[in-house]
Amino acid sequence: MGRRVLPVRLSGSPTARGPSGDSLLPLVAVATGVVLLVVFYYPVGTVLMDAIGADGRPTAGIVLGILGSEFYFGAAAGLFSDPTAVPAGLLGWVRAGFPPVDFGLFGFTVYQAVLSTIAAVALGLPGAYLLARFSFPGRATIRSLTMLPFVLPSIMVAIGFVAMFGQQGLLNDILGALGLGSVSIMYTLEIIVLAHAFYNAPLVTRIVTASWESLDERMVETARSLGAGPVRSFLDVVLPQLLPAVLTGALLSFLFTFMSFPIVLALGGLQLATVEVWLYARVQQLELAEAAGLAVVETAITLALTYAYVRYESGEGALASLGRGPSRDPFFADLTDPRRLGLIAYGLVVLVVFLGPLVSMVVESLSGPSGFTTQYYGFLLERQLSGAAFQIKPFEAIRNSLAFGLGTLLVALPMGVTVAVLTTRRFVGSRAADALLMAPLAVSGIVVGLGLLQGLVFGTDIFGQRLTVTGPVAIVAAHAVAAYPFVTRAVAPLLRSVDPRLVESARVLGASRGRARFDVELPLVVPGIIAGAALAFAISVGEFDSTVILAEGSASFTMPVAVERYLGNRTLGPATAMGTVLLVVTAASFIVIDRVGGWWEP
Amino acid sequence: MTDLRLEAVTKEFGRTAALREVSLDVANGEFFTLVGPSGCGKTTTLRLIAGLTEPTGGRVVFGDRDMDGVPPEDRNIGIVFQNYALFPHMSVAENVAYGLRFRDPPGGESTAERVADLLELVDLDGMADRDPEELSGGQQQRVALARAIAPGPELLLLDEPMSALDARLRERLRLTVREIQQELGITTVYVTHDQAEALAISDRIAVLNDGRVEQVGTPESVYRTPASRFVASFVGDNNLFEVDSCRETEAGFVATAGAIEIRTPEFVPAGSLLAVRPEAMHLGADDTVLEPSVETVEFLGDAYKLHCRLAGRELVVKTEASPEGERPTIGFPADAVRVIPR
Repeated sequence: MGRRVLPVRLSGSPTARGPSGDSLLPLVAVATGVVLLVVFYYPVGTVLMDAIGADGRPTAGIVLGILGSEFYFGAAAGLFSDPTAVPAGLLGWVRAGFPPVDFGLFGFTVYQAVLSTIAAVALGLPGAYLLARFSFPGRATIRSLTMLPFVLPSIMVAIGFVAMFGQQGLLNDILGALGLGSVSIMYTLEIIVLAHAFYNAPLVTRIVTASWESLDERMVETARSLGAGPVRSFLDVVLPQLLPAVLTGALLSFLFTFMSFPIVLALGGLQLATVEVWLYARVQQLELAEAAGLAVVETAITLALTYAYVRYESGEGALASLGRGPSRDPFFADLTDPRRLGLIAYGLVVLVVFLGPLVSMVVESLSGPSGFTTQYYGFLLERQLSGAAFQIKPFEAIRNSLAFGLGTLLVALPMGVTVAVLTTRRFVGSRAADALLMAPLAVSGIVVGLGLLQGLVFGTDIFGQRLTVTGPVAIVAAHAVAAYPFVTRAVAPLLRSVDPRLVESARVLGASRGRARFDVELPLVVPGIIAGAALAFAISVGEFDSTVILAEGSASFTMPVAVERYLGNRTLGPATAMGTVLLVVTAASFIVIDRVGGWWEP
Repeated sequence: MTDLRLEAVTKEFGRTAALREVSLDVANGEFFTLVGPSGCGKTTTLRLIAGLTEPTGGRVVFGDRDMDGVPPEDRNIGIVFQNYALFPHMSVAENVAYGLRFRDPPGGESTAERVADLLELVDLDGMADRDPEELSGGQQQRVALARAIAPGPELLLLDEPMSALDARLRERLRLTVREIQQELGITTVYVTHDQAEALAISDRIAVLNDGRVEQVGTPESVYRTPASRFVASFVGDNNLFEVDSCRETEAGFVATAGAIEIRTPEFVPAGSLLAVRPEAMHLGADDTVLEPSVETVEFLGDAYKLHCRLAGRELVVKTEASPEGERPTIGFPADAVRVIPR
């Protein structure tokens, strides 16, 4: 605490009593619960119920069918379809000399998630080392920027990777111009893993840097004084205390890459489908029963992962010490130092991986077969002016994205703040409430989208009344559900760090409970609320998974959906042009929010 | 103005009792200090008086008004916490003025005049527009004090307000606090774990231990006639001797504590405690004569503090001169011996 962040002073007139936040709280909490029930638990519930209760009778057939299917689980399917044959099967496998085993679609999904996690940790850790141990101009900015990839629209990032590594991508253009032939890594596992690392490495960097900065340098100094060398004291003192942060980052990376959708869809296609992509394909084929069964199995796995993450994180929270952070050496003090040379090489890799795709996207959108061109933007304009009714028009996509973003902000902000207030209170069953309130983090956007489509857009009968919800409302609902946990995560730590004695002092000085919250607590969490607003807006603008389901065949398409649709064309041009528009709009919104609020420092 | 009464106040957190039937009476305008080791219940007592927590038994009474169910904002009190709890998003002046949003400044002053007066009172004029974080610890403490007294409270509560400051500053500030308290005549309850501070600053003190009041009295009476073993050992240094037996001799009464014989002013029943202050002892013979072996000598500037060993027990002696030899003669008069009944 202590940073001055509030641009306006909130002052009240003498003797005026402010709004009583505490009498409002139960009301808002109930409203939040109802919204969640209607737009999340009920729709997701209907999807899951379809899988276990066909025609009103409970059945395990669909789920068991998936668990026992070679296609989904490969060799492990035998565990469910024919458990008695497992020992013999294992024996046969050992006798055959451990040949490679195929574990089906789930096996592949886990495999790519493991590879992606390893890549994210490998790419993220040097960054944490750099940020925690060295000082250089722009360090604070780069530290803030580690938040950015996470909120970049994933379909845009996918297009960026296509633009960079695709057959007609920038990399091959450059290699061709140099007469070095061409590389082809599109539709390979490598490019998926690389794109996932783009997303998750900054997350690892961020989490580990924060942990590293909270370590008390005096512990290392003590170890040094007791005879440990620099390397030894790092291994004995620093590393064990960083490990929880590394594991937290890895667990989150695994969770996100397990559920990843647009990246795999755009860069892998159905040849390299993961569970999420296959689920989407089932929905498109209208094989909804199988989709529902798949959703049950996937949700069980992701919920378990999220639970593990939440438990682990809360267990580690107590370790945080209020120490003097590590001392930082000036980076440019000695450029012959091998550590620094290594970090410079790392910086070049980071430049290629993170800036490369975005730059490539912009470059590809402006270059045709014969050099510089604006024809793709012309295409967008033409589509806008003369496109058929069923075609996606760029301006409508931009307008929809901004409107949904604003709507999401208005819904997710009160929800997220309320949940933050609730989670900082301890009451009977608060842990269970935490889990229920944070569950949307663990459920795939496809499942939420499908649930909203079936449950609310197609309509549902409540007390004999047919209740239907329009597409835009459903999209905002889905976005709000995806976004509010991030609002909560931005606000709750600040709320928790407010010294209760501040509120007590205000009360002793004559402020009612609600007034004390309004005068003291609210101003201190405003940065978190603004950061939460920025996140909510960005998540809405970039959201693809549930939007693509809900916008199918309607006029509610957004910019990410437009990018994906234009990707179907033979050239990269229209998709990269639309992606560039998305980048510009996203960046502009961020600058606006940044000007209004100041950037998030957790 | 009002006096403050705690009547058999009990506070339980779950199954553990933080306070057991504490009864206290603080007079109008008095500087009253709660002193005790950490965990003794002194801060809990303060929070009960402030209404920040409710008692599980007994009553808190201001004058003739039962405070049961009265929220802190309606108690007309001021409080200074150990960490000052200044509002970080408000300037010094805004902090001081905060309570004036809810109560009119006393004496018909305007808010601005009141804030200026108070900043002058605590010697911080010119700091009005600073942020709390720009101030030193001592300055922050004075802002917190000014904020607490700005609305003219009837009762001032201070929760270890000095403990984060260095020794010299602490001494100066406690004088400031005392002077301001005298000037305003405001009833003050002060919480500290530092018994020397409690003795120095208070009209009366209450020694708390394990949720109970051990003794209430003026600093002099608590120091000179401790009512219990705990008070004798907590307030100041003391040498304690447990009496095995007592007999009358020609010279007077002699009590036996292990291998040590001590002259007492009266008959002392077995099981009683004898307390002798280190400064009541001196080099050379007296009614009681001891010959301990000196283990460490501390030089205090105006005196020497000897850590000695006698018949297997520790003995602390304060002398004006440095002792010669390893087994000096230490003596003290019979009337320096305090008897703490069993």
